[in-house]
Amino acid sequence: MNWRKSRPQQNQAASASLRGARLPADEPLASHRFSPENLWGIAFILPYLAVFCLFVIYPIGYGLWLGLRLESFEALFSDPIYWRTVVNTLLLIIVGVNLKMFLALLLSGFFLQRYRLMPLLLLIFILPWAMPSIPTFIAVRWLLNSQWGLINNVIWAGWQVDGPGWLTDPTLAMGGVIVFYIWKWLPFWTVIFIAGRTAIPEDLYEAGRVDGANKIELFRYVTFPMMASLYLICTVLSMIWTLGDYNTVRFITGGGPTLSTHVLATLGIRDAFEIGEPSVGMAAVISALPVLVPLVVLLVWRMNKERVQL
Amino acid sequence: MRVSRLRAAAGGAAFGVLGTLLLATTAQAATLTVWWNKGYYPSEDEATQAVVKAWEEKTGNTVNLSLYSTNNIDAKFISAISAGEVPDVAYADINDFLIAPQQAWKGNLVDVSSVVEPLKDKYTKTALLSSYLYNNELHKRSYYTVPLKQQALHNFYWKPMIKEAGFSVKDIPNQWNAYWDFWGSIQKKLRADGKRVYALGFPISAVGTDNFYTFNQFALAYGAHFVNPDGTLNLTPETRKAAIATLTFIKDKYDAGLIPPGAINWQDSDNNAAFLSKQLIMTSNASLSIPVSQADDQKVYHEIGTGMQPLGPDGKPIKSLVAVKVAFIPKGAKQPDLAKDFLSFIAQPKRLDGMLKAARGRWLPVMPELIKDDPFWTDPKDPHIPIAVEQEVTGPTAPWPMVYNPAYAQVNAEEVWGKAEGDVVNNGITPEKAVDNAFAQIKKIFSQYQIEK
Amino acid sequence: MSEGARIGQGRAQLVATIIISVVILFWTLLPIYNMIIVAMEPKDAVFSGSPWPRDLTFVNFWTVFTQNFWYLSHFWRQMLNSLIIALVTSVLVIAIGTITSFAIHRLKLRFGFLLSNAALLSYAIPLSFLAIPFYKILNTYGLLNTLWAVIIVEVTFASPYAIFIFSQYSTSIPMELDEAARIDGATVPQIFRRIFLPLMMPAIVAVGTYSLLLAWNEYLYAFLLLSSETEITVPVALGHFLSSDDSPWNILMAAALVYSIPPLIIYYMTRNRMTTGMTIGGVKG
Repeated sequence: MNWRKSRPQQNQAASASLRGARLPADEPLASHRFSPENLWGIAFILPYLAVFCLFVIYPIGYGLWLGLRLESFEALFSDPIYWRTVVNTLLLIIVGVNLKMFLALLLSGFFLQRYRLMPLLLLIFILPWAMPSIPTFIAVRWLLNSQWGLINNVIWAGWQVDGPGWLTDPTLAMGGVIVFYIWKWLPFWTVIFIAGRTAIPEDLYEAGRVDGANKIELFRYVTFPMMASLYLICTVLSMIWTLGDYNTVRFITGGGPTLSTHVLATLGIRDAFEIGEPSVGMAAVISALPVLVPLVVLLVWRMNKERVQL
Repeated sequence: MRVSRLRAAAGGAAFGVLGTLLLATTAQAATLTVWWNKGYYPSEDEATQAVVKAWEEKTGNTVNLSLYSTNNIDAKFISAISAGEVPDVAYADINDFLIAPQQAWKGNLVDVSSVVEPLKDKYTKTALLSSYLYNNELHKRSYYTVPLKQQALHNFYWKPMIKEAGFSVKDIPNQWNAYWDFWGSIQKKLRADGKRVYALGFPISAVGTDNFYTFNQFALAYGAHFVNPDGTLNLTPETRKAAIATLTFIKDKYDAGLIPPGAINWQDSDNNAAFLSKQLIMTSNASLSIPVSQADDQKVYHEIGTGMQPLGPDGKPIKSLVAVKVAFIPKGAKQPDLAKDFLSFIAQPKRLDGMLKAARGRWLPVMPELIKDDPFWTDPKDPHIPIAVEQEVTGPTAPWPMVYNPAYAQVNAEEVWGKAEGDVVNNGITPEKAVDNAFAQIKKIFSQYQIEK
Repeated sequence: MSEGARIGQGRAQLVATIIISVVILFWTLLPIYNMIIVAMEPKDAVFSGSPWPRDLTFVNFWTVFTQNFWYLSHFWRQMLNSLIIALVTSVLVIAIGTITSFAIHRLKLRFGFLLSNAALLSYAIPLSFLAIPFYKILNTYGLLNTLWAVIIVEVTFASPYAIFIFSQYSTSIPMELDEAARIDGATVPQIFRRIFLPLMMPAIVAVGTYSLLLAWNEYLYAFLLLSSETEITVPVALGHFLSSDDSPWNILMAAALVYSIPPLIIYYMTRNRMTTGMTIGGVKG
């Protein structure tokens, strides 16, 4: 087996060869329509089908009906903060997600090192994800307060100057949102990548080491190709989820200063409830569909294409 | 034997039927759904619950009372109205600013003239104006809300800080510019002693209600009248000049370092928190929430001072902008008549008085007779309430522009002035440009709310 | 590589690891440190402006435990609500996820892939935008102010992800096992219960933990769909603190820390299963 050219299919072939001569085929177990398998199959998908029809199709349909009106879009696009909000959202899903995924990939390798205290460190590292977001983000908001927050208190105590306005400067505030968004979700994706890495067969690494490869070459020729598909799928999924992220902006900046750190999710809620126009709130998400739908299609296509571990 | 048993059975059956009939006629009890703003102290909630119980006992109905927190209550009301499943009675502290005028316009509120008219003589003129809203479905004004209490902007300061800077309360000037400079000079003295305090706690954020209350009160002091009593816009050059002067005033104080930079992010409770933790020498707040939240600690209660507004920039007394807190009955309520009965019950002067006292005087009465009859409101030993009464009830007052045209409630909801304050202070926009931007946005909002004459 | 060089490389790696570990600890714990300090300080110390805590005390935790503060008068009931929502959500997501992926990928139901793809399409509209539609629909079904309303929302959001994790993980279980069992005369439910579920256990634990934490974190739908003090969850109750005139931040943080403990316990108990839960079974060198 040439370890430099490792691919997921080779892994499958290896596993297939261990199982027997046949590769998994996509034929039904029984072709008769009323076979027990088919009947049971239908029974087994009925619950999710019900959930889907009652709680996915109906709300999405109603939401689209509510928001797909010309005057809602007129109101939305003429809102002075709309374009800033779009930029903020794009910043979050392009910079925030990619930086987070890249760090997660690196850290997944870090945590797999065989030191005794690594599991304990990983356990502490998980805390931001495991703890509920409301109080932790409120604590972040206090941390970043320019008058009495912890960071600026330390700066004052040490250098007798007022620290930067973390939440009062629009750029710093958005930066703070991105940083602490990463703080919250990095553990989750790191754990996923750790699982993905442990799925890579050890003999590929052994073959490489026998050939005298160093760590960087091992990463480049073994780890990266095997993880590539997982990485892509996770990035796309994370972008989709982040587009709907409400808690981060709501509790760290509240949309401030002066409505400059709103993202589409918080803008939609503001339009629906504070301004009292639910249809404009729905128009906010519909305006995100040109980005969302391609992402979802990409996700579905990749997930069908490669049988990849998640 | 069998005959007597039969007779007993028949008797029992008859008794049963009669009893059921009796019960059926008396069991006319209905359920009233009431959504009320959660209070700021346990005693406020207890007072609400006590009134509810009293009404239940009087009428024999049951009340399904839900108390919602201020930061969620707008979502609850809007969701309910959108979903078409509304409570019978809805009260939120922000109803008058942000919800009631628009909903009245859309025809979503039940006419409550039968509740307000009998009490007409007891209410202040401002209170009646606040309830007399325009319905665009019927093209007429009527009483669509019931006034319950009111608030205005007051100035609060720390007496110990004044003393520490070498002044006394009597030194507080009366002239507009001198008044604000006074706090600045205290800041200078205290800063020299190493205290990180700020003189002026003005909320200048774009969230919550304190920011636009502050702006509109100061704009009124500078002579701005945004809306005419007939509901038309009054964006004249004089109004523009007054708005620019207000923004310039705020910007100057901010640039002079008298306003904490964090004020740009303040939610409504943040200036309270900042003041109570002694980071601010003086702050303005709409209601007596700051001192009365400390009413349990008499020492602190007396260390805080409530001050009258200074004379305006033109040397004349400032009219206090009074916001009247109202309750309404959404259209589609299942028990509108019971709801009206409930609101009439609460709006009785004595009962309102009891609820306001349970709120420790945070809100002021909308019925002048309560001031006359209840010594609580004029107790000379209290350092806060009599002053607030003098400013809000007996002194010169003005109603909010949204009582003339609901579009101004939308202006509040979109935080037009909060955004202007933030732009001027933080984003380098000149007051002139900020006012022009704000006026453009206000004009656009008003174009959706044309009142027919 | 010489022995000396290898030891040198090992030591360099250890030093680098220690430095990175310190950075990670600092980064992770900074906001949490802030929470703990605030929870243990007297009330006005939050704004005191000093970086080091003074007068630390545990009295705030006692206040939380005894529900001795008016915003917390139903704290334990609200904890129970959160716990019920989280546990029922996990169980339902696991149940729905396993049977759906079993039907699509083990029973090879025709057109089954349509459903699994459609599941993913439900992510096209992020959950936070469907607040009013969900409110209206759950109101129509009469489920407002019941825990079921929140459970339904969380299950709807977590199921597509669960279906996919289970589908992918099941590719590591050989189909031969199913066939062998069928030849032995097992019925479909028996294959599901005796073969599929036990082998899927690591993925089940992973999905369960994810769903649990998702539901535990929920704020928007909790405050929107639940009303009475006895039905709301702890995050909604903590939200009350934000409207207070009085800023009782220390009690807020104490309550928040108490609220953080159950998911941490659950995560700690299941962490081993969590990482191995997503590997291809059995194919390691």
